[in-house]
Amino acid sequence: MLSRTLLLFTSIALVSCARTVTRVSPDTQIDLSGRWNDTDSRRVADQMIYDLFNSSDFKEYARALNRKPVIIVGNILNRTSEHIDADNYIRRLEVVIHNSKVADLVESSEFRDALRRERAEQQDFADPATVKQFGKELGADLMLFGEMTSEIDDYNNRRVVNYITTLFLTDIETNRRVWYGQHEIKKYIRN
Amino acid sequence: MARIAPTLLMAGSLTLASACATYYHTQADFNREFERGDLNRALEALQRRDQHEHGRNKFLYLVNNGLVLSVMGKYRESNEYFEKAYLFGEDYHKDYINEVASYWTNPMVTVYRGEDHEHLMVLYYKALNFLKMEKYEQALVECRRLNIRLQELSDKYKSPEKYRRDAFIHTLMGIIYQAMQDYNNAFIAYRNAFEIYEDDYARLFSLRAPEQLQYDLLNTAWWTGLHQEYEYYKERFGLEEYTPKRPEAELVFFWHNGLSPVKEEWSIDFAIHTRQGKDVLFVNEAMGLNFAFTLDDDDDRSRLSGLSIYRVAFPRYRERPVFYRGAHLQYEGQRYPLETAEDLNRIAIHSLRERMMLEFSKGLLRAALKKATEMSLRKEDVTLGALIGVVNAITEHADTRNWQTLPHTISYARIPLREGDNEVDFVLYEPAGGEYRHHFKYRATRNQTLFHTFSSLESMDSPYRSAW
Repeated sequence: MLSRTLLLFTSIALVSCARTVTRVSPDTQIDLSGRWNDTDSRRVADQMIYDLFNSSDFKEYARALNRKPVIIVGNILNRTSEHIDADNYIRRLEVVIHNSKVADLVESSEFRDALRRERAEQQDFADPATVKQFGKELGADLMLFGEMTSEIDDYNNRRVVNYITTLFLTDIETNRRVWYGQHEIKKYIRN
Repeated sequence: MARIAPTLLMAGSLTLASACATYYHTQADFNREFERGDLNRALEALQRRDQHEHGRNKFLYLVNNGLVLSVMGKYRESNEYFEKAYLFGEDYHKDYINEVASYWTNPMVTVYRGEDHEHLMVLYYKALNFLKMEKYEQALVECRRLNIRLQELSDKYKSPEKYRRDAFIHTLMGIIYQAMQDYNNAFIAYRNAFEIYEDDYARLFSLRAPEQLQYDLLNTAWWTGLHQEYEYYKERFGLEEYTPKRPEAELVFFWHNGLSPVKEEWSIDFAIHTRQGKDVLFVNEAMGLNFAFTLDDDDDRSRLSGLSIYRVAFPRYRERPVFYRGAHLQYEGQRYPLETAEDLNRIAIHSLRERMMLEFSKGLLRAALKKATEMSLRKEDVTLGALIGVVNAITEHADTRNWQTLPHTISYARIPLREGDNEVDFVLYEPAGGEYRHHFKYRATRNQTLFHTFSSLESMDSPYRSAW
């Protein structure tokens, strides 16, 4: 017994347990826990951009405006039980909207306050020739906001989660909903 | 050579025997000063063993340093130790050679990995230290790390009887998010915490959700704009008349009461029964314990069964009952009770009890291997075999390590403050019925959340009284 046990333990001891790290392409789908991850963020962003650009309502709105609409990104409510950072896909949406030249973006409240502080300080400290003026901010036509919800069904170490992301693009002046996009990601997880 | 071997064995056994006192006793000088409340001397005693930073008790050395420095108000230095303890947990890999060695000696020779709740508490202290230094962004980083650790914990265990979700840590995350005005994430954290208190903590640790959590959940739901959820929880809590109010500033006061339990050793004698087939049974009839091992070799089976009784050592927790029965804060004539949010004593005891079968199996395998080694050597050299028997007996010990400077329970209260100067009394209830009062002054700016931690290191076990 002793010799066999020793052999077994020695074999275990020789098994290497060093950590390995491999770089993979950012668009590789890797699902480990079944929770919301980068693949989900990317899918939501890609689908929502596609929906937005193909929306006849949005195209019509831009045509009627006779210029590029100006969009501000508002709040994305998270009603799920996970701490999901909506910024991950919202930033992706912003990048594509900006690069597509379909619309102009203005800063959200998060950065706008910092810009206003900077402008206020310029009045006192900057060279008068370079001071930026108040009252020249570009006013947004549309606000993008939305919410994320999840429905969970859990039984015997099996779980189904349906993540629903809903985004609205609403006319700030009239409250008219110009575009409405919804994307679902359903996962079946077996433990 | 035959003479050298026993000498080496004897020396080896003496070295191993030094690892055989309970962990609490090996740290007697530190524990004495810490429990007495002399933190400077406790830190000196701790840091005299700085070689432990690289040894098998590295985690405990780091967290004890971190905790003592935090209680002393040296938050930056404290976080340096806690960061190392966090990285230790991240990078930990089982050293299989040590693991194998432990089966011939005892589990105290292995690197101490840390209990699940201990790794969460590392980040709890670290986040609190950042909050006290008003480094809110860094506290949020710890919050995100806590979230990952909580997810790992819930993935690790499947049984609902295990400690697999931590309601207090979710509450803490909510408190941090709320302090940062991230009400949406705060609401999510509070809602998760509430469900865990109701589902797990009430059943496993007899601990219900603090009342403050209900108010925080309602407030953050309302401030996020989650009106449907707000109405639902208002009705569920029976707080239909409640209306969220924003105070000028707030104080979140954490009270660390007493000290966590200490692991000690207990031994069980097992009788060996062979039965038909290849099984050997380890039996303790009084405790109703019965473990079967399969041995292919007939000689091994008969050798083991020739040894009538095995003594095997296992760990168990000894509670250090709290000295103070409760406490409240007093501010502008209002009393705010400190509500228990985490019972580390019960979590520790429950976690060990849940894995006791595994501990039994490991202990018995260790005993069987030791005895089999002894019997094999006896066949070749009676003296050497007998000596191994002595060494085995000396080295048979349980792993009695745990983070012993953690509090017994954590309670908290949130109170509204005014912008500017505030005076608050903290009142502790003594066992004989008296009160012990501390007076604190706080200066708050508008919308600021202040954090204060008060540690009562006294326990009913300790002859000393001390508090910070």
